[in-house]
Amino acid sequence: MDLRNHGGSMNQDPRITAYATGELEGREREVFESELAASDSLHREVESMSGLAKQLASAAKPTDRFTEDERSRLLAKCAATRRSRTLAKNSLKVVLWTTVGVAACLIIFAGLVGIIGQNSSPFMMANRMAVEPPAEGLPRAAASHAAAPQTAREPSKTAPQASQSLPEVEVRAAVPVPDVSDMVALQAQTERIVMPKAAPAMKPQALALRRQVAAPQDEEALMELQARHSRVAELEQIVSTPSEFNTEAYAAVRENEFVTAKDNPLSTFSIDVDTASYSNVRRFLDDEIRPPAGAIRTEELINYFRYNYPQPTGDDPFSVNLEVSRAPWNPERELVRIGLKGRELPAEERGPANLVFLIDVSGSMDEPNKLPLLQRSLSALVENLSDEDRVAIVTYAGSSGLVLAPTEGAKKREILEAISNLRAGGSTHGSEGIRLAYETAREQFHEDGNNRVILCTDGDFNVGVTNESELQKLIEKERESGVFLSVLGFGTGNLNDSTMELLANKGNGNYAYIDSISEGRKVLVEQMGSTLFTIAKDVKIQVEFNPARVAGYRLIGYENRLLAKEDFNDDKKDAGEIGAGHTVTALYEIIPVGQAVPGSPSVDPLKYQRPEEDSASASNELLTVKLRYKAPDGDKSKLIEIPLEADEIPAFDAASEDFRFASAVAAFGMKLRGSPDAGKITWSQIQDIARGALGNDPGSYRAEFLTLIEKAKTLGSNGIE
Amino acid sequence: MTPEQIITEALDSYESLLISYAREITGELESAKDAVQETFLRLSSQNLNVLQPRLRPWLFVVCRNCALDHVRKIVKFSADPIEDHERASDDPGPDERAMVSEDGKRIWDLVAGLPLQQREIVKLKFEAGLSYKEMAETLKTSVSTIGVQLHEAMQTLRARWTCETTEVA
Repeated sequence: MDLRNHGGSMNQDPRITAYATGELEGREREVFESELAASDSLHREVESMSGLAKQLASAAKPTDRFTEDERSRLLAKCAATRRSRTLAKNSLKVVLWTTVGVAACLIIFAGLVGIIGQNSSPFMMANRMAVEPPAEGLPRAAASHAAAPQTAREPSKTAPQASQSLPEVEVRAAVPVPDVSDMVALQAQTERIVMPKAAPAMKPQALALRRQVAAPQDEEALMELQARHSRVAELEQIVSTPSEFNTEAYAAVRENEFVTAKDNPLSTFSIDVDTASYSNVRRFLDDEIRPPAGAIRTEELINYFRYNYPQPTGDDPFSVNLEVSRAPWNPERELVRIGLKGRELPAEERGPANLVFLIDVSGSMDEPNKLPLLQRSLSALVENLSDEDRVAIVTYAGSSGLVLAPTEGAKKREILEAISNLRAGGSTHGSEGIRLAYETAREQFHEDGNNRVILCTDGDFNVGVTNESELQKLIEKERESGVFLSVLGFGTGNLNDSTMELLANKGNGNYAYIDSISEGRKVLVEQMGSTLFTIAKDVKIQVEFNPARVAGYRLIGYENRLLAKEDFNDDKKDAGEIGAGHTVTALYEIIPVGQAVPGSPSVDPLKYQRPEEDSASASNELLTVKLRYKAPDGDKSKLIEIPLEADEIPAFDAASEDFRFASAVAAFGMKLRGSPDAGKITWSQIQDIARGALGNDPGSYRAEFLTLIEKAKTLGSNGIE
Repeated sequence: MTPEQIITEALDSYESLLISYAREITGELESAKDAVQETFLRLSSQNLNVLQPRLRPWLFVVCRNCALDHVRKIVKFSADPIEDHERASDDPGPDERAMVSEDGKRIWDLVAGLPLQQREIVKLKFEAGLSYKEMAETLKTSVSTIGVQLHEAMQTLRARWTCETTEVA
């Protein structure tokens, strides 16, 4: 084979290969062919490329296959997946039918009858159906559908396939709703949306239903249904697939258990201001799916809400607010709340922001709930920039690039334009992009400002050139230079929840999950002050319990924020940040002395150890809260110490609104993840507590929580628990 | 066609092509088979009537994701992650293929020396017969990137081929 390039120099024109492989079409092809006719060297080049292409195409046909055994096992598994898919759709079926409504059902049956046995164009049929009155009743429609599985147009080629389809039929028959399969219906809708010309392949029933649900005026509702349908399938897969195949990764979180105050007088943890878990849980519940336990981080649910703690008065950047009452899920036990409130900084007191958005524009971001949502959220942020703020945009995909050089907030139009020009496409190389983003941030570094890289991604950012620990090291190094990192997560399916949280924590930043434009506004606009402006870093909390009052205790949530007691005084140990105006809330459930601590092994009393009865433990102090924090640019920590005194534990109803609301959220999280500590509290009780503690609720976030409880309630009563 | 028929037919037509493609990424046969198996399980949970018209690119996209997942898992668990992975994927090992000619075998040996993405493109183009557009979808990139990359791969292959045959001569 002689493939030598007779034309001499290498020709970099990709059209040569495209032409040689038949990829050049239309006008492009014409232009190329006229050039080809005029140039001998180009001609030879094409010939030699065609030769190579032929050689490649004809030579290789891979022959690796599954063994017979592997193949039959795989097909059996596929069949099982199909069956469970059909089962899982039953809940959707109900939704679909309530959407379409009873009246529509009647018309469908009429349409069905009108359509069966006809072969005219689907669109003509659709038109005629519109004027046909609902003529015939249920029996015939149902009968015609019951016959459908047997009247498949193509007879099954092999016996096993025929038997595999059997369970599906049984399932359909068992569901007492009008008997047109929702799957067919949804397929029909989807077909219309995705590829309007693909009608002929459809079954008559599908066509009939499509006519009904796909009326032009319903197009938008349909799109929504269809999007929901695919989302549900995706989420179902996340919940049901074994974790090794599941790219939406949730690190397992084991709930903190009760420990005795005698053996463990100190409880130490880092604060957490992340809220991503809440929107993530909401996404699952919206799709009527119980979120996996690992996705429920109770402290993030609690901290999603703002609490009206007072502003700090002294020099400290935040106030500490302690309160104690009874646990609503177990009145025998007590509940202690530690609430921090960061000092609010008026916009004019904030240093200018130096923000670099590092945006994932890989192909996977090309979904309505990813890049377009990100663009809308960012545009909302830009509207709120002050003139001194600077914004730059770096994208990363196959190659990374500076899309928008640092631009003052005054030039809003330029920034908005750059945002609206973002397009998805290309594979992901996160590490190159992140280097460029940090470089850009450092170039524009503002002494008194908020210097931050904001990574916006659907989570698939470590393909190829980098690994996680390398990325972590880079982020930690940059943190030292004063450039922090925040992470905004978008979309589903590929979301690497734990990695994104980890990266944000390494970068002294926070991680939020954005699932809607209102969430985008909440994070980027309303909370911009706190999300972006750190007023204290490495905030650690250590609680010392008084064994004279406390038998055992349990920290609710913060499972992945626990620190060793020695870490509290170790200034090298990284911990959470608190932003301007931010509130952070932690709850301890306490078993008072005199009651048994579950799970604590019974040991005979020690002979030589005597309980120390000094004045402190005999006091009315329940516990003492110690906090350590550093100024955003500081290296040395400061200590705050506050004891909680309580003679009488007030009843739960007498507790503050904020206390009661936070308790309701905690109970919600515990019950949702099936925690035994949730006791016998019911969803309705949780809802009552929350409803009674809505407060003035700016943004109606607390009111929205009520609907979330409602959804959890429905899931519970359906036996999906 | 029933969903079962679609799945069986897809398995018959694409099994070997997908295994070969996944192997390019994972570097060995067993994990490539795992990736293809996972691809078909995911296929089973899809709405097949909707998917059918774009079944081919879909299979390659998902197969690629599964293969990459596998590589990522290796990266996570091995002590010397990046290098292990690079070694694995840069040395795909002897392929089981039915070779038509000696020339054909030699030219595919040269393909093994290309960078990963170009190897993927060459395989998708000449083995699986994907169009530029389908390849762009599979590799989550643009059609023009595919064009440039494939042309570059072809140039390199031709240069190395010329070099090899000249040396032999």
